[in-house]
Order: sequence, then structure tokens, then C-alpha cells
Amino acid sequence: MSETTPELAPSNTSRFLRGVRLGTPVFLGYMPLGMAFGLMAVAAGFTIAQATACSALAIAGAGQYLAIRMIAAGGLATTLIATGVVNLRYLLFSATMAPHVSGVPRWQQGLLAFTLTDETFAINAADAREGRADRFSMLGVGAVSWVGWTLGTLIGSLAGSAIGDPNAWGVGFALPAMFTALLVGQLTGKREYVAAGLAAAAALALSLFVPRDWALVAAAVIAATVMTVVK
Amino acid sequence: MDPAIVWGLIAGMALTNIVVRATPIAVMSRFELPEPVRRWLSYVPVSVMSAMVALEVLKPGDQWRVTLANPYLLAAVPTALVYRFTRSFLGATVIGIAAFLAFRYLLG
Repeated sequence: MSETTPELAPSNTSRFLRGVRLGTPVFLGYMPLGMAFGLMAVAAGFTIAQATACSALAIAGAGQYLAIRMIAAGGLATTLIATGVVNLRYLLFSATMAPHVSGVPRWQQGLLAFTLTDETFAINAADAREGRADRFSMLGVGAVSWVGWTLGTLIGSLAGSAIGDPNAWGVGFALPAMFTALLVGQLTGKREYVAAGLAAAAALALSLFVPRDWALVAAAVIAATVMTVVK
Repeated sequence: MDPAIVWGLIAGMALTNIVVRATPIAVMSRFELPEPVRRWLSYVPVSVMSAMVALEVLKPGDQWRVTLANPYLLAAVPTALVYRFTRSFLGATVIGIAAFLAFRYLLG
């Protein structure tokens, strides 16, 4: 966060571009996922503008897939409640990022919150842990991720079925690969290994009983609580 | 589909998403958090990442694949090694995708 050698401090632009570079794996992962959403949304009766606006304004990932499945069958209110519930985990992620953005102007905090996803959270939290993240790098990560998701949706909704199955190119592993690398970066000591082991076991066990997003949040809460209580 | 309903859905989703994501940042960044809370929050990223990897690799697409003939699981190994030695997210992601394609091809 703080620079020890102010005269060599990188410019705001170069910090932003560093964030863009950090976020490039997210871009790679979001493009095909956005394309898939664009395809599905148009197939469900959305126009190209509606599909693209949905991605650009909500950036809700799984919540958006859920929404197009539900809105066709059910009402507006139930769909909104369901997608809101799917996104409750961002309360936790946002709270975790709060100490890292305390000195940041309000409107930039707003932009950072707006581009907060599982993936941008993972990148920025890991970067902050190494003491390198600043508001410009975090905005860069958010911007390149948003472009990937929105542009992917636009391409997918324009191209229709002509683009075929993006999974043929192995992009289905882009985000798992990124999370694997981020996990390795977080394993800095014995307690981190213990927390990781606890969280992984809890997530897999819980996923037998509750949907994936809930298993993820509950596992993180359990592991963090155990690590805080047991010294 | 009725345009009013679709636009209503988009507006509603945009609103709930920004409220959920911005409220904790807006409230909690204004004051110093107590030490136990900061300690607790410091374990959230590693826990989330580990839970995410476990689910992505052993239960991809919500299907259990607890076997060694699992390209997700196998490809995670070179991905982790590349990151461990190069510290490059992009490099690890690209090698990971290549390894995934190779394993998926080899395993049929």
C-alpha cells in the first residue's frame, strides 16, 4: 500500500496497467463465460441490448444464468430474491476488502464494489496480502474483468450458435487454474495450510447438503472462525 | 419476452448487486476494525480460495469426480507448480489450460 521510495513510486497509470495485467487471467476466463451467457440470454428471449446491459450493470455471473432460467418460468420478484440470495456472499467479500480501501475516495470505492466478483476479490485480496494492491491496481483488475464479461456477452449474443462450444478450447479450466495459482500464493505459513485444509474439507462436505455458493461461504466462515478462536 | 419485465429484472439485479457489494465497504472502511475481526477477515481469502479450488477440481460443474482420471485435478498440479516457481497468474493459467486440454485428450 505504501511506497518506501517515493521518488521511484510508479505512476497512477502504471499501477492501473499493473492491475490490468493481473486481471488478464480473469478476462480470459470471463470472455467464454460471458459468451455462454449471451447465447443463453438471447435463446431465452432477451434482445442483444438487454443481454449486454444485464452483464454490464449486474456482473452477477451465476446469478445471471439463474435469472434467465427463472424469469422465463416465474415472476420478477422471486427471480430477484433468488439472484440476490446467490449474491449474498459478496457481503463477506466486501467486508474483507474494506480495510484495504479505507483511504480511497467514495466514488472509487463505489467502482471497486461494483466490479467485486469472486475472481477480482481473489486477485485483489492476494495482492493486498503481499502489500502491493492499491486503488489503481484494483481498479485495473476490475476494469479488465468487466470488459471481459461484458464484451463476451455482446459477442455471444451477436454470434448466436455460430461460435460453437467454447469449452472445446479448454477455457473451462481458466478460472479453476487461476484459483489454484491464487491459493498457492496464499499458502504462506502453517496456519494458512490449516485454514485451507479446513475450508476445502468443509466445502466438499457441505456441498453434499446445500448449493455450491452456500457451501463456499459456510466453509470460509467456519475455517476463518476456527483459525481465529484456536490460537 | 415482455421488455418491461426484462428491463425491470436488469434494474433490480443491478441495484441488489451494488447494495450487497458496496454496503460493507462503505460502512466498515470508515473506522478501524477490532483486532479479532481483522484477524478473522485475514483468513477469509485463503479459505475462500481453498474451498473454491476443492469444489472446482473435485466437483466441476456440480458433478463429483473423485478419481485420478480427472483432468481438472491433474491439471491443477502443473498450474500450482508453475505459479510456485514463476509467480505469474497468467503463465499459470495458460499452462493450466494447456495441461487440462492434454489430460482431457489423453483420458478420452
